[in-house]
Amino acid sequence: MAAYVLRRLISAIAVMAMVGIFVFLLLRLAAGDPAAVIGGDTATEEMIAGIREQLGLNDPLPVQFVRWALSVLGGDLGTSIFARQPVLELILQRLEPTISLSILTITLSVTVGVSFGILAAWRTGGLADRMLTAFATLGFSVPVFVVGFFMIYWFAIRTGLLPVQGYRPIEHSLKPWLVHLILPTVTLSVPYIAYIARIARASVLEVLSEDYMRTAAAKGASSYSMLFHHALKNAGAPILTVIGLSFAGLISGVVITETVFNIPGVGRLVVDAVNNRDYPVIQGVLLLGSGLYVLINLVVDLSYTLVDPRIRY
Amino acid sequence: MVPAGDLRVFDPISTTAGISANHGLAIYDTLFSLDSKLAPQPQMVGKWGVSDDKKTYTFELRDGLGWHDGTSVTAADCVASIRRWAAVAPGGQLIMERARDVSTKDDKTFTIALKDPLGLLIDILADVTTPLLFVMREKDANQPAAEQVAANIGSGPFKFNHELARPGASFAYDRNDEYVPRKEPSDGHAGGKIVKVDRVIWDNIADPQTAFAALQAGEVDLFDKPPADLYSLIESDPNIVLQSTWAVDVVMRMNFLHKPFDNVKARQAMLHLIDQEAFMRVAVPDPKYTGAVTSIFGKDTLYSNDENTGWYKKGGDPEKAKQLFQEAGYAGEKVVILQPTNRPVYDRAAQLLAGELRKIGVSVELAPSDWGGVVTRRANKGPVESGGWSVFLTSESDYSLGNPLGTPFLTASGDKAWYGWPKNDEYEALRAKWADIETLEERKALARNMQRIWWDFVGDVRLGYNVETRAHRKTLTGLISKPQLTPMWNMQKA
Repeated sequence: MAAYVLRRLISAIAVMAMVGIFVFLLLRLAAGDPAAVIGGDTATEEMIAGIREQLGLNDPLPVQFVRWALSVLGGDLGTSIFARQPVLELILQRLEPTISLSILTITLSVTVGVSFGILAAWRTGGLADRMLTAFATLGFSVPVFVVGFFMIYWFAIRTGLLPVQGYRPIEHSLKPWLVHLILPTVTLSVPYIAYIARIARASVLEVLSEDYMRTAAAKGASSYSMLFHHALKNAGAPILTVIGLSFAGLISGVVITETVFNIPGVGRLVVDAVNNRDYPVIQGVLLLGSGLYVLINLVVDLSYTLVDPRIRY
Repeated sequence: MVPAGDLRVFDPISTTAGISANHGLAIYDTLFSLDSKLAPQPQMVGKWGVSDDKKTYTFELRDGLGWHDGTSVTAADCVASIRRWAAVAPGGQLIMERARDVSTKDDKTFTIALKDPLGLLIDILADVTTPLLFVMREKDANQPAAEQVAANIGSGPFKFNHELARPGASFAYDRNDEYVPRKEPSDGHAGGKIVKVDRVIWDNIADPQTAFAALQAGEVDLFDKPPADLYSLIESDPNIVLQSTWAVDVVMRMNFLHKPFDNVKARQAMLHLIDQEAFMRVAVPDPKYTGAVTSIFGKDTLYSNDENTGWYKKGGDPEKAKQLFQEAGYAGEKVVILQPTNRPVYDRAAQLLAGELRKIGVSVELAPSDWGGVVTRRANKGPVESGGWSVFLTSESDYSLGNPLGTPFLTASGDKAWYGWPKNDEYEALRAKWADIETLEERKALARNMQRIWWDFVGDVRLGYNVETRAHRKTLTGLISKPQLTPMWNMQKA
């Protein structure tokens, strides 16, 4: 197990290095110039040339790359061209809202999605199954921003029950933190609930048709015991995979929800950085993001051993 | 409040972005300011005078000016600030070209000594074309103009709250209780800058629909420059006011260096082709906020005039345009229009322009990218085959177009001119006289002459004007809307 984890951690570093090189080159090859963004719409060529020189953007690409790589190896992701703050500090500032939203979303999605999936599988072909299947199809198809604006209209503008937008840090107080995250969490959860419910339904259905389930029924096992002790445990691996992938996807996929609900998270940081061509920020976020993605996959792989004792690394 | 964009650059001297100028108006102060009638009035300056030969200007700072770090504003700060600003601002460059010396006399007094009289000197110092002449601490102002000053320490009516700054998300400005405003009543950017709120928070809500919802719900009080497609919704809310501010001209820049627009006939064809009403309809659906513009000096400035505007025809004249393209010897050369897909007004207008050109037989290629891509590509002086361009759309405020020394849009000096690189020596010779003319009437006459030549060689083409707006809750009053930008003093919340 330890050797396996070590191998995976080393591969994570290799993945991050490749992502770093790829992103660095891609950004330099893509159209756009941070100096032009700094200069503003009506800046003169002379003004922009001065800013380029100041930022070191006129240096040859290999020089720029070595400068950046050395600073990353020294533990410094660089400084934002615009915010004038260290990239790591900026990311940490934005991490709390994104992690809060992601954890609440995954908690709600897993709880509701797995429950819906089990219920639909248990009552397969019945009204509950048909309704849940319809919800799963709809929830997965309707874009998040449509759900978001619908929620804002009904729960913030029409009824005034919840705030339209914004984020309050948890350290200030728990209630405003939670109140500001209810609408974004529900909005972002809809497609994940649908996705998890579909996978859970399919997995549980497959297990329910296994011989050992018939044996359990013949031995007089209760419905509860059949479902939770026998079926769910054996259907767990694919559900866990989906949850892991959903969580990893969430970290990078909260951009729309963060935009609709004006949550200052990592997703918006990246979008703004791309629009501004803030190279150090884009490189830093993608570098850390790729590392996080690999780590989440590792955690998921390791957790298989908990639901299926046959799996060994 | 929801500002008109993301504050990306803190240093208002190293950028022309209006949002940075708004930030500058909050935390920095200016030597002179324009009132609502565009007349320059002293702001940081207490007394000033000019020598009999009109070559030496002496300025004395008023009492009570202090930096947010507790030190006093000195004449040395002003001299360093003028020099830094003059490195990038066209008006400042003119002052430095004419200056023999800019120096301090004592802690509170400085002089600008000129080689020859410059009647517009005070107007230039008070100009609100970005970048404005904001006064910074000497140690900040000694940095090169291309190197951003990020200390955010000024002597203005607001203090930047560093603790609450969340770049890309929100910024907070606290009332500067030590600020000593002028005694005169607030008028435009001039007069007493009295702050009537404790704190202003800029909440950068990226999605306009969310920003509007936040305004409706009372979570924000002001939404600066809402997109035009929200106007009808905003106007339907009884608690919200949609306030018109200043006009902005949408401008088409053509590349003078390459075919087909290196030929004056092809440029004239574009002038005749444009149906300004149609273009403005795609940009701003409500005609109440748009209109045609025929003067190179904008819709409604001191120098707007009707000289040589016979080309204007309601609905455009595509047949005339087609004929002029033929006279230009147009042989099917590809016209590349830069299309910024994240700027809805330019995006839609570019698509309409492509359609209109195709109708008269011009080969057109739209080059979609984000605005960042446009600002990079527009600097390419090569032909379209080498990544160059033929046309891009942009805009300039009416106010700035009324100042041919401040705006880069009204230069025609070829390689030294703004993107498109228009060249006309006769026009430039007239523009060079602008600074030396003493009376308004003479300058108006000069403006007519300049416009006559401009529309003959077609330095650019106007697609019309639209009026910028602000949406604010009725409980927020005292907003300053002239001459341009969004100062935050004087606003009051009930």
